[in-house]
Amino acid sequence: MMVRTNRKNMILYGTYAAIGIAFGVPFLSSNLYLLNLLSLMLIFIIFASAWNLLAYSGQGSLGHAAFFGIGAYASTLIATKTGFSPYITIFLGAAFAACIGVLIGLTCVRLKEWFFAMVTFGFAIIVQTITVSILSPVTGGWDGIASPRLLNPGIPAYQMIEYYSVLLITIAVIVFIWYVMKSRIGLAFSAIRENELEARASGVDPVRYRLLAFAMSAFLAGIAGALQIHHIGYITPEIFGVDLSFWPVTYVIFGGLGTLAGPVVGTLVLTFIWEGLKMAGLTFSRYILVGILLILVIIFLPKGLVDLPDKVQRWKKDHQKTEQVVTSSLK
Amino acid sequence: MFDSGILLQIIFWGLYAGCIYILLATGLNLIFGVMKIVNFAHGEFLMIGAYVTATIFLLTGINPYVIILLSMLVVMGIGAIVERLCFRPILGTSKLNEIFLSIGLIYIFQNGAAMLWGDKWQSVKSPYQGISLPLGSLSIPLDYIIIMGVTAAILCGLYFFLKRTKTGREMRATSQNRKGAMLVGINVERLDILSFGIGCGLAAAAGTLWVVSGQVFNPYMGSIPAVKAFAIIILGGLGSIPGAIIGGLLYGIAENGAVYFLGGVWKDAISFIILIIVLVIRPTGLFGESGE
Repeated sequence: MMVRTNRKNMILYGTYAAIGIAFGVPFLSSNLYLLNLLSLMLIFIIFASAWNLLAYSGQGSLGHAAFFGIGAYASTLIATKTGFSPYITIFLGAAFAACIGVLIGLTCVRLKEWFFAMVTFGFAIIVQTITVSILSPVTGGWDGIASPRLLNPGIPAYQMIEYYSVLLITIAVIVFIWYVMKSRIGLAFSAIRENELEARASGVDPVRYRLLAFAMSAFLAGIAGALQIHHIGYITPEIFGVDLSFWPVTYVIFGGLGTLAGPVVGTLVLTFIWEGLKMAGLTFSRYILVGILLILVIIFLPKGLVDLPDKVQRWKKDHQKTEQVVTSSLK
Repeated sequence: MFDSGILLQIIFWGLYAGCIYILLATGLNLIFGVMKIVNFAHGEFLMIGAYVTATIFLLTGINPYVIILLSMLVVMGIGAIVERLCFRPILGTSKLNEIFLSIGLIYIFQNGAAMLWGDKWQSVKSPYQGISLPLGSLSIPLDYIIIMGVTAAILCGLYFFLKRTKTGREMRATSQNRKGAMLVGINVERLDILSFGIGCGLAAAAGTLWVVSGQVFNPYMGSIPAVKAFAIIILGGLGSIPGAIIGGLLYGIAENGAVYFLGGVWKDAISFIILIIVLVIRPTGLFGESGE
């Protein structure tokens, strides 16, 4: 009991510290490179959390770049056509992504793991093809189009305001996901994930809840995509690429699948490893190292980095036990 | 506008493209049958096979149709190592883990190849390039005919191996009932390595044929053919090798038809559209038996 409350307190304090550091960073360092890196990292935390929410209902998507990109394109187009501020269009674009998400979800919520992964992977490619063929008059084809910046770069310290905006949205998203996971909806998600038949027997409609997970996940992924594109200021169909579909998966597996903290920890740790390797001058071997780390985590740490403290404690306990057994047998 | 010559050409090109997909899909089916896993990184073995063949060909100048055996052996070895180190430890855990592990493998193989051979598009000239045989109203490159012959030979060899040899029979027994096979004293773990290796070897053969036919290749080219192979095994039924052959041929023709009628941009998307339509109608696949 004591250990439990201690652990809970530690997590609470850790969260406060993390939020405090996140708010304090711009005061500690005015390095624009760092600020830009952190903004992108926060955006990827949203993206990874969105993917994680879908995985929480037992659906591992390999095509989440589709929603990331749809949100980004929709937000860009609405902002350029109507002149609304990106702060509003982000959510309109995300809502559009959620609608497409429900449509895509209708085709694949009944599928098993492998089929589901393949179909979602395929949808990212289909969306990319549509973007560069039928929709190319609006989307600019492979060349892409310019996207309005989140804030006018003329505003003093606009990067700092942008960073804080992204940070606030990220916190809101994480609180939202925490709330969903705690609620009956989250309970239904994990029931479906663990045993679909039993979930159905206790009155949970798997198709409806999976569609709901799809809509929420696509909405959040759309927010992340729109934020990234308004932050960078340019969008091309590369946004639907395989790379962007795989990153959230890597981040979440690394941090801990199906946990609230997993995507945050995974994105944080991997981003810093990634940037560190970049500074060390590695290019292709960065990916190889990440691939090796990913496989090692899957095999030896199936619950991700967030499980590491527990794992160490369990290992220590076992170690002590064997030591006791050995010493008592010696006596 | 539309005449039978073009239709014939579409069918013939489709058959040739289908050969590469058949080899990939058959390998995947063999692995799925024995181990009940799906390796999303299967296309990476095609890519490695393509590079091994191209490298040996450029260094020695041996006929690339002979190198195919060497390339298959090399990739079989790599596949066996991957099975032992990566897939064996997670066998029997959540199915999602296989998908995630494949992503790690894709990172490793694609970028390893990019480090070794560079990430530019490359291509190799076949010794028979430019020779074509007249067939009715159209002329067919000699390479395409050899490729079909090689594919047929490999598939016959596989058929013989599975039907006639002791190991092949053990392999079929394991894919029918793994526990039963264990009970009668079959070493299923040895078969896991073997079937994974053979599956990867078939992918290497597909990669070799890809190179020989003069198509361009780069380290990232493996994913799309692999996903198409998945589409084929879903069409033909998981674990069914005849299904993979029929599915592969039909698929190659459908794809080439789509390119002709809709334009080249749709080449990759069309496969998924077919896949999704089939899965919406039948969530277990077209001929999908109980399976998974």
